[in-house]
Amino acid sequence: MIDDSKPIFMQIAELIESDIVSGVLAEESQVPSTNEFAAFYRINPATAAKGVNRLVENGLLYKKRGIGMFVAQGARHQLLEARRHQFHEQYIRPLTAEASKLGIGTQELITMIQTSAHTDVNGQGSVIND
Amino acid sequence: MTNAPAIQATNLSKNYKELTALDQVNLALEPNRIYGLLGRNGAGKTTLMSILTGQGFANQGTVKIFGHNPYEHDATLSRMCFIRESQKYPDDFRANQAFKAAALFYENWDEDLARELIEAFRLPVKRRIKKLSRGQLSAVGVIIGLASRAEITFFDEPYLGLDAVARQIFYDRLVEDFATHPRTIVLSSHLIDEVANLLEHVVVIDAGKIVIDEEAESLRGAAVTVTGNAEKVAEFIGSYPVLHRDALGSLASISIRTRLSQAERARAAELGLELSPVSLQQLVVRSAMGTEDNDTSDVNVEAMK
Amino acid sequence: MNRIIKVARMQLINKWTFIGIPLLILGGAFIFTMAIFWLVRRAGGDEAVMYSGGAQAPMWYFLALGIQSLTLTFPFSLAMSVSRRTFYLGTVLLFGISALLLSTFYYLMGLVEQATGGWGLGGRFFALEWVADNNGFVQIMFYFVLMLLLFMIGFWIATIYMRWRTSGMLVFFVALAAILLGTVFYLTLGEKWGQFWAWAITWSAGGVVLWGGAVAILMAGASYLTLRKATA
Repeated sequence: MIDDSKPIFMQIAELIESDIVSGVLAEESQVPSTNEFAAFYRINPATAAKGVNRLVENGLLYKKRGIGMFVAQGARHQLLEARRHQFHEQYIRPLTAEASKLGIGTQELITMIQTSAHTDVNGQGSVIND
Repeated sequence: MTNAPAIQATNLSKNYKELTALDQVNLALEPNRIYGLLGRNGAGKTTLMSILTGQGFANQGTVKIFGHNPYEHDATLSRMCFIRESQKYPDDFRANQAFKAAALFYENWDEDLARELIEAFRLPVKRRIKKLSRGQLSAVGVIIGLASRAEITFFDEPYLGLDAVARQIFYDRLVEDFATHPRTIVLSSHLIDEVANLLEHVVVIDAGKIVIDEEAESLRGAAVTVTGNAEKVAEFIGSYPVLHRDALGSLASISIRTRLSQAERARAAELGLELSPVSLQQLVVRSAMGTEDNDTSDVNVEAMK
Repeated sequence: MNRIIKVARMQLINKWTFIGIPLLILGGAFIFTMAIFWLVRRAGGDEAVMYSGGAQAPMWYFLALGIQSLTLTFPFSLAMSVSRRTFYLGTVLLFGISALLLSTFYYLMGLVEQATGGWGLGGRFFALEWVADNNGFVQIMFYFVLMLLLFMIGFWIATIYMRWRTSGMLVFFVALAAILLGTVFYLTLGEKWGQFWAWAITWSAGGVVLWGGAVAILMAGASYLTLRKATA
């Protein structure tokens, strides 16, 4: 949900992106209107519109005149690419920092990742969904 | 419509005997946005709004509403709605009679919306207004404010006495109705957390002076609290402007006014520092009170909750 | 629709205040007076004509109405985004029309009273001789001016209160008391009371209309100027 860590329009954009990545919003499916977003999250409609427009600018959403906003073809792929790039900064860095604080060596960390990845693949946990 | 400001105040000052209620206030509010007019009780919010609506008088300065001085100008006045927090109603009026009067004067009055709101707030419309509870009295003001659909609508601490459910009804209806009928809304409040997400622009007034006049989005995430080892915190924050300091033994918690880059966040993680967002309310309180006297600012945080 | 008319309509939303209560007071005073006339006649009272001042009862209510229509509806009219001028014009217009209707009613009832020999009891409630001896126009204007004067006095006092609150009231009543006391002292010390009463009885209904009307207009102007800067 909405918090104070960054501008709300960015959070709205990220929420929609996450839904596209996880498949909740399939490509070519309609996205809720900005007013619906505003009412649902109890935020200013102009702010919601700014979040949605950001995704339009990035080519992830497109407008159909008089109908609404839709997920663009290839949006999921585009987002996955971007998120791969962010993965190192967002997850690996803090992971290694915390590991060294706890005295976990690189080899030990790799083993832990392997074990964890193994159970995750067997379970249904999604690696991507945050 | 042009992009001329809906409300323009220039050098407004107002004194009550020895008290300075407004001190050289300059404001320009654009049409069709939701503004938050935030500040402590007695900061000058109501005084400012009554001058903007031609109900009160400034000792100095000018007000232009859509380019006109609203004082005694019916054509301009009729585009505004300002129900004050302590609004007086005719003694013998019942709530539905007040709505009937509002329907007379506000050309965009929406009777269906008024009816819906009456039901949502469970307002006893046939009871005399002077016998209503504080919350029901607030509801009367909220209903007139929303249903009038005036081009500029002021809400003066509209939630007083309303319970959590009723307050949520108000916020929800405001967002909903604003989405379909955009207009300029000025929401005066000292409960900042509750309204923060509804605001597009924030004006903070303290002791009659405007201390913040900024886009809400640029304030969000514009400050961060760094917590951890005092030395490392000091090293990390460098020369960023400090909003607030707390210390507990070797532990320090310092709020700084800056937007951290990805690299800085990474560095904080390496230093073992914890980062937490500063809410709009905290940011407003900290900014309004300055960093000089931390003791009083803590008291003020309580006062504003 | 014109906003001045809307102000009048707002004042009439509660019909009781402007129409109901004055009629109730008048009706009550009339019935009460008639009952007394009847009792006096039954007890063998044989004065040729009996007079009652009961008809002035609703007029005093207008003094209160002047105060009430301002202190309560003025702050509300500001919230309705009505200018002070529009509020003033609408309220005075409404009062003027009601006063004119009521004055005409007094006149007509006076005619009925005279035609029925004082409601069959030889009583005078509406048509007091001093007034009823004049032509219809002067009679109507006499009642009208009196009502207007009382209303404007109440209205002006209320505007003074709205603008200067308690300190305004204090100054106003101290000044009023000073003027009244000064007059009494002047008349008493100068032994001029005899002259005063001799002068007072020379007044005609027409004179009351002219001078009362002038004072009412003066008060109306003063009220407006005071209201211009009054706040809720």
